[in-house]
Amino acid sequence: MDATVLGAWVATGLTLCIFSFLYKDNPLFKLAEHLYVGVSVGYTIVKAYDTVIVHLIVKPIVEQGEIALLIPVAIGMLMLTRYVPKAAWLSRYAFAFIVGVGSGLAIPRTISSFILKQVEDTVRPLLSLAGGDGMTFSMNLLDPSSSINVIIILIGVISVLFYFFFSIEHSGPGKVVAKTGVMFLMIAFGAAFGYTVMARMSLLIGRLTDLIEFSDASYGRPTLWLLIVTIGMLIVLSRRTQGKPPQES
Amino acid sequence: MLKIDRRIIFLVIGLCTLLPLLYPVGLPIKISSEVRGVYNHIESLPERSVLFMSLDFDPASKPELHPQAIALLRHAFRKNLRVVTMTLWVSGTGLADQIVTQVAKEMGKENGKDYVFLGWSPGNTAVIINLGQNLYNTFPSDYGGKPTKGLPVLDGVQSLKDVTYMVSLGAGNPGVEAWYVFGKDKYKFEMGGGCTGVMAPGLYPLLRSGQINGLIGGLRGAAEYESLIDQKGKAVAGMDAQSATHVAIIVLVIICNLFYFSMRRAAQQHSQVGS
Repeated sequence: MDATVLGAWVATGLTLCIFSFLYKDNPLFKLAEHLYVGVSVGYTIVKAYDTVIVHLIVKPIVEQGEIALLIPVAIGMLMLTRYVPKAAWLSRYAFAFIVGVGSGLAIPRTISSFILKQVEDTVRPLLSLAGGDGMTFSMNLLDPSSSINVIIILIGVISVLFYFFFSIEHSGPGKVVAKTGVMFLMIAFGAAFGYTVMARMSLLIGRLTDLIEFSDASYGRPTLWLLIVTIGMLIVLSRRTQGKPPQES
Repeated sequence: MLKIDRRIIFLVIGLCTLLPLLYPVGLPIKISSEVRGVYNHIESLPERSVLFMSLDFDPASKPELHPQAIALLRHAFRKNLRVVTMTLWVSGTGLADQIVTQVAKEMGKENGKDYVFLGWSPGNTAVIINLGQNLYNTFPSDYGGKPTKGLPVLDGVQSLKDVTYMVSLGAGNPGVEAWYVFGKDKYKFEMGGGCTGVMAPGLYPLLRSGQINGLIGGLRGAAEYESLIDQKGKAVAGMDAQSATHVAIIVLVIICNLFYFSMRRAAQQHSQVGS
């Protein structure tokens, strides 16, 4: 059997097993779920072993004599001391190294990218109102850089920040600002949910596209045959469960 | 209606997805400015410029990011750019290799001369920093084990600073944000992004502030890119189904809200009569 055809049968079977959860939880779904986890972990371990241990450590040390690589290897090995209770304290040096280097690299870069640059973008347009053409004010809502959108973003940022400022009571004018912040948050959640729906539907479209493709005679019509098998097994499993007394909790 | 069996909703959504895939209508696709940003930048690059692509996803995000990668690679190869690819996701290594090899073969491109797939290297964001210092230390050999030093596709490329344009197609972390924070912000190269639909709203602030010059979001973004390069593929084929499911969900939300409010009003009237 051609590897592509075999792959089509495996992919179709596992897709249908996962989809069977939409009817109800069943052993077919659990089989596919466990296979997915096992294959993912197995693949990751093999790739990591081949890339890291063989190509980045053993080969350079043995074939090219790069002895300096033994230093990061030693630091990495210290982490394994967590499995030996008496020597577990040694792993703290490895973790300290990783946390120190990681924080040192991440903190300045994150502040620069996500705080300073975003603050700069939020306040910049107010200054640009007085440009080379004098005072201009654009009302085009469809243009992200228009003056009206700049003001909307500014109001949104300030009101949402105020909503999360709990040191004073949200009453009087403060209540209006906080309510405005809530409205901006709701719009943001709505947009995020809309995109999430789109993403999940895209995944369904991807699987159904493959199922349609694999219903072709050149693959041996695995979609059709495996769909019949899956439905048959669900009926059998359902009848077997009906015959059993309910489990005590 | 509010106590409807959830399996009926699954069936409705399933039919709304399946029927347009079997009988496509061909609804028009409007190109957004964020997708056009990536397309225009690649279109403006001279021949043999270096496009660096990081395919930071695994098979779980294949339906959304696979069409994006295919469309971008087709565009880059058609423009005769040198394409350097890699991945930060170990579980996506095989998929990324398959995508690059498939499109390169289809476009008649030669491995090592027109394109290279560097594979995966451990360290996530540290890999990006290493690439900014020295590409050859980070990837001494490509995915096939060929030494990277001396490859014609990498002529004049020592690090990320020598890259003309970089695109990260990310399904999570590390992805577009990591490439911006540890790559573009530090080593100053032009950058665009592609992502899953779930991630897109979180990346719009980077787009608005000009930190990235374009964004391809989800299957819809991929369909727009396929339309721009005039090579319609799986993403365009899925757009009818996407629209149909969205209409179905909107209708379900409206119906459920109508029932909810009518039941609440009935309960209020009932309690007023009782008191």
